[in-house]
Amino acid sequence: MEPSYRIVPPSQIKTASINDTAGSLGLHDTLQYGIRSIATEIRGGQFENRIAKWEETQDNARLHMLANLYGPSAPMRLLMERQIVSASPHMPGMPQSNIHLDILMGRDETLDPTDFFLGLESGPPLSIHNEMEKKLRL
Amino acid sequence: MSQQSAFSSPGFDFSNSVRNNFLQEKGMPLPKATSTGTTIVGCLFKDGIILGADTRATEGEIIADKNCEKIHYITESIRCCGAGTAADTEFTTASISSNMELHALSTGRKPRVVTVMTMLKQYLFQYQGHVGAALVLGGVDSTGPHLFTIHPHGSTDKLPYVTMGSGSLAAMAVFESSWKPNMERNEALALVSAAVSAGIFNDLGSGSNVDACIITATQTEMLRNFVKPNERVEKERHYTFRRGTTAWKSENIRDLIVNEDITLVGATGDAMDIS
Repeated sequence: MEPSYRIVPPSQIKTASINDTAGSLGLHDTLQYGIRSIATEIRGGQFENRIAKWEETQDNARLHMLANLYGPSAPMRLLMERQIVSASPHMPGMPQSNIHLDILMGRDETLDPTDFFLGLESGPPLSIHNEMEKKLRL
Repeated sequence: MSQQSAFSSPGFDFSNSVRNNFLQEKGMPLPKATSTGTTIVGCLFKDGIILGADTRATEGEIIADKNCEKIHYITESIRCCGAGTAADTEFTTASISSNMELHALSTGRKPRVVTVMTMLKQYLFQYQGHVGAALVLGGVDSTGPHLFTIHPHGSTDKLPYVTMGSGSLAAMAVFESSWKPNMERNEALALVSAAVSAGIFNDLGSGSNVDACIITATQTEMLRNFVKPNERVEKERHYTFRRGTTAWKSENIRDLIVNEDITLVGATGDAMDIS
């Protein structure tokens, strides 16, 4: 993310895409999601974007302040440590835990809804093939 | 080797949002959550804080719970009353209570009311009012007694007496006419009961009994069902039928065991070798 002092994620330009609803053929999956309607795809994206980007935006603001106080090497070092620790050899479908990353991000002393739900908000992956595809394309 | 995102997921799954929007557009109504309706009050007195709440939980027009608890535990000397969506208030207060315990262990100090207030307001602001929790937070910490009110969008107020919920106007009327600073315990408790009772009798969303919680520097006293102005009276006549009103014509006992075949296993006399 670009350096900025924002603490709240900016509202995005309204877009409609088939990323959420695409089936294996790359088209809108009518069987699972109903007839495609651009109006429904646009509405309700703002709130989802806000809470998906919340931590990232706050973190970005903090790093920007660090850069102004101590120089650009301070956030660079923190980001490097995070990247080293994030490399995980496990399968993406299964619930994962990375305690080193939690400590670096300051999550070892708090409890979030994510910790209560253990990453099981959406249930077991419907198709492991899709998950593996997403992972290996990275 | 795949890169995990360093940030935790928000804890909510949005994969059904397109489908839900589509259904809503076609006219299907969203399911109604249990709301607490409610009258919750808080009041500062000489030795600390008194919190009060009614005990009715509604689900649309039906009463879902006639005796629910709206005064939630945060820490030993901090309590929080919750109005709005019942699940939201319970989950939020329980989650903040856990976080406060960890925080107190980590800092080694007694938890402060402002810390709870800050955690709650930051959480509620993040969810832009979708977490329907209107809270009255009160407690006594090392800096003294504090009373806050937190609205679902994240705004807070620090006041000597507060009311929230659908019965807040009735309760506030009582407070505005009788509150004075440095009241005695009995006076303050009577005032809080009167305020919650005003909500119970004048607001449809509030009812049943009055709960109160008295928090002082030395102890916290929870008075569950302190006043019960809505007890159901015993019926004047008995409507049960006496034994023998209807004679029975036939009796048929079915034995659950249809066919029993006993086979002894290992009982041929092979005793354990203990030589």
